[in-house]
Formats: sequence, structure tokens, C-alpha cells
Amino acid sequence: MKNFENLFAAWMVVWAVFFVYEISIARRIARLREDIERLKQQLREE
Amino acid sequence: MNTPRAAAILLAKELRLEFRTRELLSATIIFGLVVVMMFSFAFDPTAAESRRYGPGLLWIAFLFAGSLMLNPSFAREQTNDTLDALRMAPISSFAILLGKMLANFIFMSLAELVLVPVFGVLYNVSMAGIVWRLILVLALGTVGLTVTGTVFSAISAHARMRELLLPLLLLPILTPLLIGAVEATAALFTEQPALDRMWVALLAGFDIVFLTASWLLCDYLIEE
Amino acid sequence: MTGRIASRIAAAALIFFAGYAALFIAPDEKTMHVIQRIFYFHVPSWIAMFCAFTVVFVANVAYLATRNAKWDWLGVAGAETGVVCCTIGLITGPLWAKPVWGIWWTWDARLTTTFILWLLYICYLLLRGLIDDPEKKSTLSAVFGIFAFLDVPLVYVSNRLWRTQHPQPVILGGSGSGLDPTMSKVLLVCTLAVVGVMIVVLMDRYRLERLRHEFEELQIEVESRIAEAPAIARERG
Repeated sequence: MKNFENLFAAWMVVWAVFFVYEISIARRIARLREDIERLKQQLREE
Repeated sequence: MNTPRAAAILLAKELRLEFRTRELLSATIIFGLVVVMMFSFAFDPTAAESRRYGPGLLWIAFLFAGSLMLNPSFAREQTNDTLDALRMAPISSFAILLGKMLANFIFMSLAELVLVPVFGVLYNVSMAGIVWRLILVLALGTVGLTVTGTVFSAISAHARMRELLLPLLLLPILTPLLIGAVEATAALFTEQPALDRMWVALLAGFDIVFLTASWLLCDYLIEE
Repeated sequence: MTGRIASRIAAAALIFFAGYAALFIAPDEKTMHVIQRIFYFHVPSWIAMFCAFTVVFVANVAYLATRNAKWDWLGVAGAETGVVCCTIGLITGPLWAKPVWGIWWTWDARLTTTFILWLLYICYLLLRGLIDDPEKKSTLSAVFGIFAFLDVPLVYVSNRLWRTQHPQPVILGGSGSGLDPTMSKVLLVCTLAVVGVMIVVLMDRYRLERLRHEFEELQIEVESRIAEAPAIARERG
């Protein structure tokens, strides 16, 4: 049923979009955490 | 010095400055004429089509011309840091903003007063019998355009790419105004011209909301 | 940490239950049958979008009142999340329209309003990107954000009035007009699920902004230490 394909696509779109966005945020957070640790380490060495 | 008096003095300054060279005004009018002319090349309208699509064309021409005209308004203040001088003067931020808004309103209105009759002549659309009502609709629309436009030109003055940013910020915000103004103007261009109260009320509402918001938020726009 | 994991698990659970409810619990609709079930994702995304943009408005006002950077971070988080919800609405709308009306898009009141709001809040984010000075960026984008939110009811009203004047195929058909009680319950569950996910994502984006701020502060401190190093060395040596 073509309609069912569209419905499934819509369901996927909703969660996929949120998911992709969430992943991009999580990755940036992880990278920032690393950078912050690095800087803190640098300051401790001073 | 109280706000109305300060605004009036600033308005006089803006008018004097502009009428010395008239460069902004003439550029705006010519640009509007170009858009009005391009309508004929793009659509080659019949008389009936001109009546039907004319309001849309006019207001798009005004919005585009307005967006281009509003940037130089604040940019002028930055060349000689005159905005700093205005800030130090014993006048309220709203006076500074209001002076600019009134000046922009007058310039835009002058451009419209030229463009509307020219449109009427070029596309054989008669304005007989609707002049005063048309002026009311034009005024309400122009107030909304210049109030929001002046606020956004103050905002984009601090940003990069301000020539592109101002229309980009302004046009989405103005969609209710565009709808209302086009519908109200279209109601006047029909066989039985009538002032559509619903759209006029929307335009007035738009103007009041954004004028009030500008007044409440003016300090943040003018501050250092 | 555990709170965050718990909220994520709760959100995931809600998603699955909502999906199940929308596909199997909700009764079949008379005219549109299966495709009508998109309604259970499309409408909640609209509601989530509106919640996100309300958060932006509150954050903008609070920032101007307090000048506390936290409100600026909340504003960005809300705007980005809201645009995401809006994008979902703009994609699910045509997915519904094509089978029902045979057209991908129609300038009906609700879709047009969603499109305008999408543009408006993208402009908010663009504006922030184009202002370099951090204090000015926060202040001026807050002012723009307030103007944008004030525009929302005007956009909605003007589009409604415009479209009732020129009737168009209405995307949402008979939504809200005498909704079957089971349908209402399913809609409620789906709304909670989508709004819940939106809140989780928003808080994460907020955290990202807070970390970014922390990173910049540390960078400034490291750079000032490097700049002072020659002076300190001279004092010692």
C-alpha cells in the first residue's frame, strides 16, 4: 500500500531528524569536553 | 528635552540632510520604477490582470525598495560616529529611533506618491474615487514597513553583510503586513471599491504591536 | 548523569509506545484510512515547535532583563530545536498531502504559517552568526527574537483570514472537528512523546552552548597566561 510507505517514511523522518541532530550535538559535546580537559591540563602545568 | 521635541529636531535634521542631495530618495524612486516596469516584461498583463495583480506588484516594489533604502539610513550615522554624539545628548533612545522612523516614513511615502500614479498611468488602472482610502491603506502599510525596518536596520548595523541581512530579517516578519496591505489595496481596485475593515484592522494591529515593541526595546537598540 | 540517562530512556520508551499507538491502537479514519495516521506525528511536531519558540521568547525577555548568559544559551537551544521541529512539520505535511490530494505542497494557512516561522527562526540563527561581538550578539538577537515571536500570532491570523477568503485544500482535513475519543488519547500520547523528545534535545543543545562558553573562557585564560609569561619571567630572572 503506497499510503503505508508514506506513513512509515513520516514516522522515520520524525525520529531520524531528531536522532541526527542529537548525534551531532553529542559529538560536539564530546569534542568540547576533550578540548576543555586539554586547556585545564595546560593551566595546571603553569 | 522631551521625546517629541527631540524627535522633531532629529527629523528636521534628517530631512535637511536628505534634501541637500536627494540621492536616497531618487534612488528609491528609480528602483521602484524599475520593478514596476519589470512587471510588464515578466507578465505582459492585460488591463484586467493589471487590476488583479497590481496591488501585489506595488507592495512587493515598496518592500524591496524600502529594504534597500533603510540601510543607508543607519549607515550614515556610523561614518562619522554621529550615533555616539546622539547617545550623549540628553534625549531618550526612543527619540533617536523615532526621529529615524519618521524620516524613513516620509521618504518612503514620497516614493509611493510618485510610484502609485505612475503605475496607474502605465497599466491603465484608474484611481478615481479611491484616492483617500488608498492613501489610508498606503499609510498604514508604510508605518509598519518603516517601524520594523528602522529597528532592523539598527540591529543589522552591527552585523556583517548588512545589505543582505536587512531584507532577510525584514521580509519574513512583514508577511502579515504584505498580506493585509495587498488584500486591502485589491479591495479598492475592484469593480465596487470598498475599504475592507478586516484587513485595515490587521494592518493597524500590526503597526501598534511593533511600534509598542520598538518603544519598549529601544534602549537595547541604541546602547553602546 | 543518571538523570540524563533516565530521561533519554523515558523519551525512547515514549517514542515506541507513541508509534505503536499511532499505528495500531488508533481507529481507522473513514476517508483517508492509513495515511491519516501521519496526523499523529504532524500535529505534535507543530505543538513541539510552538513550545520551543515560546522558550526562545521567554529566554530573550529574561536575557534582556538580567543579562545573564544562561538565557542566551537557552535562546539558541530553543531556536535550533524549534527549527528542527518545524522542518519535521514541513516534511510530514507534503508526505500527507501527496497521497491525499496528489500535490506535494499547498499554500494553505497552516503550512504557509509553518514555512514563514521556519524562515523567521532561521534568520534568528543567521543573525547570531553574523554579529561578532558576543554581548551585542546576545542583545540584538534577543530583540529580534522578541519581534519574531510577536509576529507569530499576526502571521497565523493573517494566513487564516487570507485562506478563508480563498479556500484551498485543507491539509488537516477534519482535525479537531469532533475527534473520536480514542484518537484524542493517541494524539495526546504522541504529543507528549514528541514534546518530550524536543525537551531532551533542547537541554542537550543548552549544555553544548554552556560547554562552548566554558571553553572560550578557558581559552582566554590560557592566552592571558601566555601573554603574561614574559613579564613573569622577567620578574623572576
